Amino acid sequence: MNRLSVFASRIAAVFSRRRLDQEFDQEVEAHLAMLAADNERRGMSPQDARDAARRSFGAVAQIKEEQRERRGVPQIDTLFQDLRYGFRNLLRTPTFTLIAILTLALGIGVNTTLFTTFNAIALKPLPVRDAGEVRRVERWFESGAQGDIQFAFSYPEYVYLRDHSRELTTLIAMSWPFRAFAALNQGDTEQLRGQLVSEEYFRDFGVAPVLGRTFLPEEHKTPGTNPSIVLSYPFWKRRFLADPRILGASLKLNGTTFNIVGVAPQEFTGTGEPPITPDFWAPLMMQAALVAGQNWMDQPAIQRLQILARPKPHGDIRTAEAETATLVQQIDQTLFVQTGFSPTGRVGVTSVRERTVAITLPHATYFGNTEDIRFRVFVLVLMLVVGMVLAIACANLANMLLARAASRQREIGVRLAMGAGRGRLIRQLLTESTLLALVGGAAGLLFSVWAGKLLWALIQHALQGPMGGGAPLTVSLDPDFRVFAYALAISLITGFAFGLAPALRASKLDLTSALKEEGVSFGARMSRSRLRSLLVGSQVAASMILLIAAGLLVRGLVRVPGVDPGFETHSTFWLFFDAGPDPAKGAALQRRVIERLETLPEVAHAAIAGTVPYAGTWTPPIKTLDPQAETLRTLGARVGAGYFETLGIPLERGRGFTPLEIQNATPVAVISANAARQLWPNQEPVGRRLKLDLNFRNQWKEFEVIGVARSVRSAHLSRVDPMMVYVPVDPNVPEHTVLRITGDPQNAQARVRAAMQSIDPGLMAGLALVSTADGPMQLEQVLAEAYTTFAAALAGLALLLASAGIYGVMSYLVSQRVRDIGVMMALGADAGRVLRSVLRQGLWPVLIGSAIGLAGGAAVSILLHSMLSFPGNADLLFGVNTLDPVTFLGLPCLFALIAFGASAIPVRRALKVDPMIALRYDG
Amino acid sequence: MAADNSDILQGTLDLMVLQTLDSMGTLHGYGIARRIEQISEDAVRLNQGTIYASLLRLHQQRWIAAEWGVSENNRKAKFYSITRAGKKQLAAEAANWERVAGVMSRMLALREEG
Repeated sequence: MNRLSVFASRIAAVFSRRRLDQEFDQEVEAHLAMLAADNERRGMSPQDARDAARRSFGAVAQIKEEQRERRGVPQIDTLFQDLRYGFRNLLRTPTFTLIAILTLALGIGVNTTLFTTFNAIALKPLPVRDAGEVRRVERWFESGAQGDIQFAFSYPEYVYLRDHSRELTTLIAMSWPFRAFAALNQGDTEQLRGQLVSEEYFRDFGVAPVLGRTFLPEEHKTPGTNPSIVLSYPFWKRRFLADPRILGASLKLNGTTFNIVGVAPQEFTGTGEPPITPDFWAPLMMQAALVAGQNWMDQPAIQRLQILARPKPHGDIRTAEAETATLVQQIDQTLFVQTGFSPTGRVGVTSVRERTVAITLPHATYFGNTEDIRFRVFVLVLMLVVGMVLAIACANLANMLLARAASRQREIGVRLAMGAGRGRLIRQLLTESTLLALVGGAAGLLFSVWAGKLLWALIQHALQGPMGGGAPLTVSLDPDFRVFAYALAISLITGFAFGLAPALRASKLDLTSALKEEGVSFGARMSRSRLRSLLVGSQVAASMILLIAAGLLVRGLVRVPGVDPGFETHSTFWLFFDAGPDPAKGAALQRRVIERLETLPEVAHAAIAGTVPYAGTWTPPIKTLDPQAETLRTLGARVGAGYFETLGIPLERGRGFTPLEIQNATPVAVISANAARQLWPNQEPVGRRLKLDLNFRNQWKEFEVIGVARSVRSAHLSRVDPMMVYVPVDPNVPEHTVLRITGDPQNAQARVRAAMQSIDPGLMAGLALVSTADGPMQLEQVLAEAYTTFAAALAGLALLLASAGIYGVMSYLVSQRVRDIGVMMALGADAGRVLRSVLRQGLWPVLIGSAIGLAGGAAVSILLHSMLSFPGNADLLFGVNTLDPVTFLGLPCLFALIAFGASAIPVRRALKVDPMIALRYDG
Repeated sequence: MAADNSDILQGTLDLMVLQTLDSMGTLHGYGIARRIEQISEDAVRLNQGTIYASLLRLHQQRWIAAEWGVSENNRKAKFYSITRAGKKQLAAEAANWERVAGVMSRMLALREEG
């Protein structure tokens, strides 16, 4: 009890320190006065009385100090003292403080921006109850197919899991967003995005509607009954201007009337994958009305549902994963036996019988696959790069602090002489640097908020157009506590990183020379300048590496606008539509569509294609019949008859596929010119045979080469396809359709749409028509641009920081040598000689750092080039040479120029100084 | 034997301060120091400033209370008085001392007997 009150009074004393100090002073004065009065009464003179009083009282200053210590919490007191002192110190040198804060703001800001984005994508939980527990079911196929397809399940699979799972307590299904036509008043229609969800969706996720109610599971037990929908907040606000009377109103979607039963709250932005907030949610039971022509309920081939699940409390997640895998395999087997369908690794295609070999249950986030090792490695690499920039900034600051500490030698010397402990001194210097770092970190956080918004706006804008994007991604980049914690942690670490070495160095002073303040004279102290040289050298090296990498990328990017893909991209349009669940019927539909479209005058050619350029690669192993031939990897594409004419790829030898060959699945192939050169150099390729392992299962199929097509860039814009083999498309399965348009594209598109409408109006819902140039190709270009810009920005930043660092060091060196310069000049030395000697001293580490940086840059370039060995990889350097002379010579020269400039300025300034002033320079 | 100043433990000083305040009522720091010197017949001669450590400790434990007032020679001074809790503590400590003293004297009497 008493200890508590003691503690309380100590804490209270911390806050009223000054007042209590004053009071005690008064108390002591009073006491002394009374003692003196007594002494005087005893006959002493006033002066003697006072002295005697002081003597019998005791050491006044010490008693006051002890009182202070006993009264408050000394550690806090010293901390406050250090903070106040540090603050005053920083204010005394405003330029240094400002530069330091800006440097830190940039370094920490860039790091925080990256983290904020990563947080929004991978760490932020979904806006649901107990978000940390919700998992997304992910399946792994035998063929190793990856992508969104891993989250796709059919309705029968979902029901089976829901009814039989013991490890997962709740399973909720939600579809990918689909488009529906809404007939609003005034007769116009609008295409809306909706999502089908199972009945307990809102209730289980704890979503409380802001208006009305959400779905009641009892109402949605049978398909087709109770057509109700819940609107999303942004849609309600945008379309109905947040009118509360919307409750109970009806909305006609795809011809069926739905009741609006409620509106979701603003913070419910959906459950991700993709991170889009749909305009409305509808119960799964109403699927048939909303997605025309399909019946998901008993079609195992339609995998359109994602499954979110909550594992049972205290359960082991691996057990849940294993059980779910077993269940999925069970139901798949049953379904296959019953219906002949099985889930596949390719959307809507059942030509390959697939098995689900494993199930994982990653945490559900807005984006899928964020626990994927490749994604994480990518993010790690990014963070390393950005971290390097921060490290450069830290090196800069450490140097600046070293210089600053050196100029405070006398002050530090005095304090040490007066008995300040080295530890105390170090603590005070560290407090100063941490204070700087915290302020810089706060500025950096502000910077990152703004930069993050800008970055995201750019990304959104870039992704709006191609591939049917359109709905804004609902990723909130507002900093949450995670971002704050990260910024704080980084600031503290940074403060320590750049503050520790200078603090340690500064306190290890030789007292005599410090007090006499001789500065660094002719016998320069080696250890300190070695540390500084090391710092500058490493800054230079790191900047050089970043600069070279960015330089190479920029060189490559400059080529992009002029690059010729080798085939028609502006007049080739890709037609996407929903061909239905039955592959045979779908293929027939596709054939009908092509027949119909070919009759249009605007459509010059039409063909079926299994792969869309720039939208992914397929790289099967290939080898010739020669028993000693090695197995290579080639790019592959499945194409139909008329493909080459449609895309405008000239056939250099032989011919393309005939409709009969497609129909009979004849094992013929067309290879690219590059492939021909590699497989049969200087020989006639037509008529030869090759073997392909189409399914990666070591099952080789033989093909006869019937034609050679010109080599084009169809996998990546950045490189010509190293090897390409075209094989006939599967006639029993619907694939993509590509059209060659003549005349006005707008007109042609309208005609195509009209034709599709006349074939079957139900197709319009899922219809998309986009040219190669505006679609997949643009995405590639945009991504390349974005990431090169990012690299260039970083490199520019690094260069800026390194230059500032060099300037700072040279300034310091010069200031140290000012006295020497004065002496030299007074003795008649030539200014040039002085300049040279100082420059030599300062630029030596720059030279070494540059050499290391060049070597590092070359290594990076070689690494990037080595990625080209795999045909499916893009060329990140866009064909720029490994040791591109422009980059490897030009950039170091640029750097040298900047370094020279940064060094010359302080030296020139010093030389202009009158030698008499220089001699008296006090540092 | 003449007590050496440094032999007086701080804890006992606290007790003396409490006792002084209990018997004398409200006093300021100087007054307390003088009183202790008087009572102990100058056997206790401490650096007067050291009582402030005691006063602080006692105040933190809420055994004494402090108030600003005016001293005899018209100076602003802090006056201390014992609290109820302080009185209780004093009683407990005093009892403790007496017990210890009793035991000690019995032990020492044994020694004399030899």
